[in-house]
Amino acid sequence: MDALIARADAIRPLSELKAVKTRDSGKGKAKANSKGKSKDTSTSNSDYTLQSISSHANVPKSLAPLDPSSSKSKNDEVPKYNHIANKKLRSQLVHQHALNSNLSKNALETQQNLLSLAADDAGSIQVTGPLEKTWRISQDEIVASVGGEAAKGRRELTFGPGQGAKRMKWSQNGRHLVFISGKGGTKVSSVDWMGGNVNCEVDLLAGSNLAGAGGNGGGGEAARDVTFLQDQSFFAVAQKRNVFVYDRDGVEVHRLNNIIDPLRLDFLPWHWLLVAVTNSGHLSYTDTTTGTQIAVHRTKLGACNTLTQNRHNAVVHLGHQNGCVTLWTPNLPKPAVQILSHMGPVTSISVNPSDGGSAGSVNMPGRYMATAGRDGKIKIWDCRNWKGVVREWAVRGAGDVELEWSQKGYLGVLSGGSVNVYHPPHIVTPYTGSSSSAAPPLYLSHPIPHKPLQCLRFEPFSDVLAIGHNKGLSSILVPGAGEPQFDSLEADPFENAKARREREVKGLLDKIQPDLITLDPSMVGKFDSAALSASGSSLVATAAQSLLDKSDKVKWGANVQVKNVGVDVPFSRMKRVERLAVQGKLDTTGAGDDSEDSDVEMKEGGDGDSDDEAGLSREEMSKKRKMRGKNKSLKRYLRKQRKNVVDPQVLAVRAKVDRMREEAKAKKLQMKAGGAGEENKRKSALDRFKAGSGK
Amino acid sequence: MVKISVLQHNPALHVPIRPGDPTPVQRNLNPSMHPFAKARERTRALNAAKLDKIFSKPFVDSLEGHIDAVEVLTKPLESLTTVASGSWDGGLILHNLHTRSEMLKLPQAHKGKISGLCFADPKGSRLLSCGVDRNVRLWKVGTGDGEDDSGASSQEPLHVYPWKTSFNSIDHHRSDPLFATASSTVQIWDETKSAPVSNLTFPTSNETVSSVRFNLAEPSVLASVGSDRTFTLYDIRTGKAERRVVMQFRSNALAWSPTLPTMALLASEDHNLYTFDVRHMAAPVQIYKGHVAAVMSCEWAPTGVEFVSGGWDRTVRIWSSREAGGKEKGPGGREVVYHTKRMQRVTSTIYSSDARYVLSGSDDGNVRIWKAKASDKLGVITARERASMEYRESLVKRWSVDKDVGRVMRTRHLPKSVYKAGQLKHTMLEARRVKDERRRKHTRAGEQKPVAEKKKTVITEQS
Repeated sequence: MDALIARADAIRPLSELKAVKTRDSGKGKAKANSKGKSKDTSTSNSDYTLQSISSHANVPKSLAPLDPSSSKSKNDEVPKYNHIANKKLRSQLVHQHALNSNLSKNALETQQNLLSLAADDAGSIQVTGPLEKTWRISQDEIVASVGGEAAKGRRELTFGPGQGAKRMKWSQNGRHLVFISGKGGTKVSSVDWMGGNVNCEVDLLAGSNLAGAGGNGGGGEAARDVTFLQDQSFFAVAQKRNVFVYDRDGVEVHRLNNIIDPLRLDFLPWHWLLVAVTNSGHLSYTDTTTGTQIAVHRTKLGACNTLTQNRHNAVVHLGHQNGCVTLWTPNLPKPAVQILSHMGPVTSISVNPSDGGSAGSVNMPGRYMATAGRDGKIKIWDCRNWKGVVREWAVRGAGDVELEWSQKGYLGVLSGGSVNVYHPPHIVTPYTGSSSSAAPPLYLSHPIPHKPLQCLRFEPFSDVLAIGHNKGLSSILVPGAGEPQFDSLEADPFENAKARREREVKGLLDKIQPDLITLDPSMVGKFDSAALSASGSSLVATAAQSLLDKSDKVKWGANVQVKNVGVDVPFSRMKRVERLAVQGKLDTTGAGDDSEDSDVEMKEGGDGDSDDEAGLSREEMSKKRKMRGKNKSLKRYLRKQRKNVVDPQVLAVRAKVDRMREEAKAKKLQMKAGGAGEENKRKSALDRFKAGSGK
Repeated sequence: MVKISVLQHNPALHVPIRPGDPTPVQRNLNPSMHPFAKARERTRALNAAKLDKIFSKPFVDSLEGHIDAVEVLTKPLESLTTVASGSWDGGLILHNLHTRSEMLKLPQAHKGKISGLCFADPKGSRLLSCGVDRNVRLWKVGTGDGEDDSGASSQEPLHVYPWKTSFNSIDHHRSDPLFATASSTVQIWDETKSAPVSNLTFPTSNETVSSVRFNLAEPSVLASVGSDRTFTLYDIRTGKAERRVVMQFRSNALAWSPTLPTMALLASEDHNLYTFDVRHMAAPVQIYKGHVAAVMSCEWAPTGVEFVSGGWDRTVRIWSSREAGGKEKGPGGREVVYHTKRMQRVTSTIYSSDARYVLSGSDDGNVRIWKAKASDKLGVITARERASMEYRESLVKRWSVDKDVGRVMRTRHLPKSVYKAGQLKHTMLEARRVKDERRRKHTRAGEQKPVAEKKKTVITEQS
């Protein structure tokens, strides 16, 4: 049967056969007399059976090609690990590589299938010609054209003049919304947006809320900010005195006494940390699982009105009155990064949560940061390179500019009397036109007559943008803003109570320790390259030291005490690597391999001492080291003159080098022939008194 | 004409159709949807490692009944439940591991210590015992399975083979009705004859043989260890001793690997275990260091990858043999140590036939049952539980190089005496090594070279 299939599959389009032939012949030419190669090609040809089956069926593991060198396509290069002497380890590495590449390939395929599925769900606006502009389309038109259930995302809630939503926050899954409203911000409401129910309303003015628990710091308190904790069952409110935590029914359950006069709040969901920044400029991290305050940092930059988190590395971004943006982790008492972003107070910061849309793009999630300042500018920053802005433009209109990035990378900007939404790819592409401050093309624009507009939040997993304004809360439809495909194991808008409880427990079990918050989240599970290189250098040092000792001993005789011997480690007590280094068998080729995936380099402030080192690549460094030895200047000179130019000076130097080499060789031969017996004789302590040895 | 579409989820696709149905799960594998995936996985691995430690309760049960120290344990090849034990007072008990009851109890099977026990057939219906009373006895025992001869165990031996010297060990041939005994010589007996059919002792040898074992794959080959610090190979086809090595210390026990026919394991008096490839006996294949007193017994698992040893230091240790294909070492790359407060010197250890349990007989007269894998869960395991256990296992394996996970896995508790003895031993060995180095340093360069530990083990090879 296999033979039959193989024969059937051997009949292939002529072009394909030709391609195979040419490939084979090329190989044959290149390595005509190498047996291994020819074997390779023959095996790839004999795999017709497997190829024919694998396109139609799932091949069982036992049939899957284990030897990746024979089965892999040509563009998928398999590292040979030739520098590793251990056969077992080498084959294991090759096998692992094959498995990994298979796995990642499968994952990618699955992902692409899923994405293509999801692309059908995703919202969009398709224009037919260049003259049709998406920003001309009003909300009424969108509502009219989508109709049905989707149109229910467009809502207008009116509370009364001066009683509109001041701050709001969606829950992780985008089902619930909590917002501050009322006169002076004295009312906090948690609503089930999708279900259309009100969970609770806490009236801070009344002094005693719905459940009658009272004690929310006395009556008449204004709420400054609000955030959900792990899910809709708790939310924290920054009030005048302290941060208070309310449950879903609006019952006050906690009062965080050690945060005084908080202004802004946020919650890091994977670390279970409640972050608050106070009027005095203190940034505090509270572990909500234990209730302990794990870190308080003094920003020394005064009251801070802007706080946001990068959801992909849990770094907190603060915007200050003096125009600075600072990045904080709980582990550093100083900001990890501090940049002067605006000529005036920073009013809003947002970090792009999307990875640029397409799979396999170079963008990584959390790479771009958008800031808005009272100087009327919006700036886009690249978090990997703080040198300058990616793009900046000015906005019109009075009042503070608020902005937020949606899950798919649409940037919503609230300025003056309208909300503008910009396209994803154009926001982060550097503008190359004549004027450096052109705004990216507008996607949608929606005027709201109730000034001032106070806040805006994109709903996760939905195309809804909620806007808080003076009179109430309105939501508009932004087609394409939301991630169409949610992951039930991360956040599910449709989860029931049981699933919510289970996710809470699982989330608690998976809680990440706050120590692991760094600018580079991929640090976890990688080798500590700094420590590795440090140990490597010390290793080299000891090896060199012992080599030196050895050579000195040979030179002076074993019985002569060698001065300046550091730590004399005997061979038998050396570590394995040290032994290898001494014997000259140490493998140093594989060490530089990881340099390619460290393309994401977060440069931190005050890191100037290693600049000259970093300027040289690893290869250059190794070359530099290699050149230490005899005649280095001549050789370096020759190396630099490797051009296709006949230069008499170069020729002369080359001749000189050759002559020196000859001389050295002759000397060596002479030593071998004549002075062998004398040389090999063991030197004694008295040798130094012989004639001719007193140098 | 502008085409506008807005994302809308169909709730019918995301909630169970009927109450009680599982909730539909939708996945999105885009890495940007899963922030901190690695960090979360590490947390999970750390938790898994801790759970593994929490669940590691290896002691299962203790089988009582002997009134003196248990000297030997043996099991039939094809039974999961039957185990026989012999003690210093001459008592012989046949245990049923399943019911943990005594199937047969012979309080006076021998006068004095029972020094060797083995089953005469794979099913375990006949049992051979030898003792210091210079007799070998053949017993008929019920397998306890109930079908053929459960009640047929007799208090009287089927046969008695008397001899002039006391015996130290006995082993039965895999297929033929032959058995080998070890006394001052190694003798081969036919079950039907009352005198040994041949004597296989090495020509110049004048030693007491302490243990003798038939090879499992090549049953005509047998090996013995003796008081002259020897490890000897015999062939019953040629009827003589083929080869032997003299080692630095004497060995107490011997076991052939069930999967690698040329691999033999020796439990040595110098606290180490050695695996020998009988094709190259000049040096052991591997040295297993860990015990802090003489190793008294050793036995391979039926899988041939792990083996168990019991020692004079009151511990039972389970090792994974790299050369036999054991990919994973124990936690922290070390062996697993089992101990309890009341367990005295361990004189015999065996694996159960399903490789899930380890049995140890010790000086306190008890036979103890341990799990071969300390954190194993006994009883019925549902598919979900199994999956989660396997996931935890692979997580721990994957993150074992992580500092915290590795530390949790490495940490083990030892009795104070064992720990102190280990420290003392380490100090002594270190001092010896330092002295060697100093000596080497002050001799002419190249005159004294360090000798590999494996090369030191064997003094001479004779044939």
